Amino acid sequence: MSQFAQQLVNGVVLGALYGLIALGYTMVYGIIQLINFAHGEVFMVGAFGGLAFQRYVLPDGTPAGIALVLVLLAAIMTSVATALVIERFAYRPLRNAPRLAPLITAIGVSLFLQEMVRLYYFGGGAKNEQNFPQYITGGFRVAGVRVSYIDLFVVIVAIGLMLALSAFVRKSRTGKAMQATAQDRDTAQLMGINTDRIIVVAFILGAALAGVAGVMQGLQVGTVGFKMGFLAGIKAFTAAVLGGIGNIAGAVLGGFVLGLVEVMATQYVPGRFGGGAWKDVWAFVVLIVILVFRPQGLLGERVVNRA
Amino acid sequence: MSNVVPSGQPTGPYAPTPGRAQPASPVGRVVRQASDGWHEFAGRFDAQRVPLAGAGAALVVAGSFLPWAAFSGFPGKMTLSGYPGGVRAYCLALVVFAAFAFHRRAGGDAAGEVASLGMLVVTLYTVLAIAVEGGGLVNVAVGGWLCLVGSVLLLAAFGSQPRDEVVEPLPPGSVWLQLLAIVVVIGLMLMLVVEGLSIEASNQFVAFLVAIAFFLLAAARVGVTAWFQAASERQRMITIVAALLSAAVFPFTQAGSNYWLRVAASVGVFAAVVVGLNIVVGLAGLLDLGYVAFFGVGAYVGASLSGAEASNLDVHLPFLVVLVIGALVAAGFGIAIGAPTLRLRGDYLAIVTLAFGEIFRIAANNLDGTAGPKITNGPNGIPGVPNLELPGGFNFGDSHELFGIELAYFANYFWAELVLLVFVILVFVRLNNSRVGRAWVAIREDETAAAAMGVNTTRLKLLAFAIGAFLAGAAGTLNAHLTTQVSPDSYKFDESILLLAAVVLGGMGTIGGALLGSAAIVVIPEKLRFVEEKRILLFGVALILMMRFRPEGIVPNKRRQREFHDDTSGADATSAPPGSPVATA
Repeated sequence: MSQFAQQLVNGVVLGALYGLIALGYTMVYGIIQLINFAHGEVFMVGAFGGLAFQRYVLPDGTPAGIALVLVLLAAIMTSVATALVIERFAYRPLRNAPRLAPLITAIGVSLFLQEMVRLYYFGGGAKNEQNFPQYITGGFRVAGVRVSYIDLFVVIVAIGLMLALSAFVRKSRTGKAMQATAQDRDTAQLMGINTDRIIVVAFILGAALAGVAGVMQGLQVGTVGFKMGFLAGIKAFTAAVLGGIGNIAGAVLGGFVLGLVEVMATQYVPGRFGGGAWKDVWAFVVLIVILVFRPQGLLGERVVNRA
Repeated sequence: MSNVVPSGQPTGPYAPTPGRAQPASPVGRVVRQASDGWHEFAGRFDAQRVPLAGAGAALVVAGSFLPWAAFSGFPGKMTLSGYPGGVRAYCLALVVFAAFAFHRRAGGDAAGEVASLGMLVVTLYTVLAIAVEGGGLVNVAVGGWLCLVGSVLLLAAFGSQPRDEVVEPLPPGSVWLQLLAIVVVIGLMLMLVVEGLSIEASNQFVAFLVAIAFFLLAAARVGVTAWFQAASERQRMITIVAALLSAAVFPFTQAGSNYWLRVAASVGVFAAVVVGLNIVVGLAGLLDLGYVAFFGVGAYVGASLSGAEASNLDVHLPFLVVLVIGALVAAGFGIAIGAPTLRLRGDYLAIVTLAFGEIFRIAANNLDGTAGPKITNGPNGIPGVPNLELPGGFNFGDSHELFGIELAYFANYFWAELVLLVFVILVFVRLNNSRVGRAWVAIREDETAAAAMGVNTTRLKLLAFAIGAFLAGAAGTLNAHLTTQVSPDSYKFDESILLLAAVVLGGMGTIGGALLGSAAIVVIPEKLRFVEEKRILLFGVALILMMRFRPEGIVPNKRRQREFHDDTSGADATSAPPGSPVATA
């Protein structure tokens, strides 16, 4: 029983991370129907931005709490700046191009960012995993379940950000404009909404969340690497599809479901296909199963196939 | 459909002629402005253009025969005088072309200008390379300076005329002329390939590529390339046979050396896979990001059934049977992956194939007997795949002597790859010209409309996907023998990306593009060692730039080109003038 509870905790923490990244996919997809393959790399670049800030800007001996907040801000800024450049110079010129073009561009951007970090990160590239500073240590035990403070921090911040985002989209003027743009871009434009700006806002919000997620992954795993965005990106996209792509609550739900499935499969799938080696495979199996039986996702509505 | 013409067009003698499309991008506008400014400047020398061109040509010719580098370390015979070797030969070829283009016909000025620009770029690049390598401009000898000055003079002479952009097509000429041209061009291509491969210095190789690129651009300006394209289409069988023959004699040009034959054999297998991927991406418009997994499935099947000692199946079947089995197994995987996802929007396919690629890699790494059944031997893979053996006792590992040239291992495999490649190309061409091919194009361009016209979109997309997987699987079985081992590392996501890059760079939906793209992607890192580590980075940048500026690829498919440019009306002369609505191709 305590093993199950322990895995539940692990799954929720993992799911919170997936959810944070998935929000970026879902917002961009909801508005311009683009799978932003480079989003996983925005997440990775955020983590590396935070790391660089810690290494080269923060003076030694900064109190851990202040350092964490500053590193988070640095990560957000790096991610957002990266996403803005990508949107402006890679995606926007292709707004009216055939569908294949922006997808291929997204892959190009993703390779470019990975390789830039690998070859040219401060201090001669980041070819190996880099240690991430641990600001939060320790943990506590409840009923035989170990919960580290990092886990707690990750889940609280993630849920807080998700609630804030959801409130922003539902209540604020810009958020309503985002909803309108997602429903029908042309009509929204006719109604006087600057849809270019709204698209930029979607990229900024997604990138900010990805930056936070990058730092959290660094805290949780202890290292960051140039490849971390690849798997995290596919998983987060899976989460977004699972919840119903384009749906903000869905992305969060999908993240948690996926995190739990992955953790539970690792623990409870009997025989040789259980265990850590196959955990990524289970996540992808979930993706394929969802696409077969409920392509609109858990909370999604059936989307009209737009040409 | 947006068809916005930016306001504030330049006026004056060099204003764009009607029908000349205004570039939509800021970069394009800057380039256009710079070019207009240059022509206005060069126009002042209109009266002196003949002496200018003569002086320029004389300088380049003289410079080609004089030494360029003051030290002997610089390769390409740059220190010798009296013999235009290496880069100097390219300049000489370009100036001969420019002289030919001079006042020959409409577009001749533009062609001469491109040729002299190419000369300038090549010379400048080489002069800088000499300066960097020797440690200062002092090391550039008189020949380099003469060619530099000469190409600037030529550029000014050709640039002084206003551009007439309309080039009338050349008359088709007699059949014999066409045949002669085809044979000459293909022979020339073989010579260039052999010449290019024999260049050892990376600087010279870059100069070589640049010179060829400008040569082709210049030829396009006088309409020669269009003429050749039409001629080769009219004499299709002859062209194909000639191209095949020239590929088949390639091993004889290597005089028993194996290095480039190995590369050529890997180009062959890579190209076969790329053409297969081109069916999926180029014809049907489905983005497959895990294509290398099908190749890997074929390779593992091929290795397992080859009788290799490390194989976990104690079966040894004849190769042709294995080939079919490997291809069918890969196609089975393709259907299993495609069936659930192809009913949905195309974007999902991209991510599911990506996931499948990862599943394949993880599975290949783990089906080692501890984390799963023992099939792939995990990271060790299956080494020691035996050589192919034909029924007559012809072993691919043995050396054979033909026409006095010893042809070893790689030459044998090179020919086997060639046969496979021809088969894949045949499949591609036959499909492209069939009812199925037209249905794919319809799906690619507008799936909803295609479905409304009665095209069974799901089934046809699945067919494309399965055929693509089938061909990749077939190539995989052969590759297992060529590389004599299979291991999970050869089938990573990076490889899928290289395949996609070859398709996109070369041109989606064309054979020439696929071949050119795969040759470039295999040979360039091999030739330019400094590229090796950065190749993924460079291909990433290339993908972005290609999609932005030339999404139809280096060798465009005509229909595809219009599809990508239907809102700029710049691609073809038949489209409507700016301002009027443009029909979607």
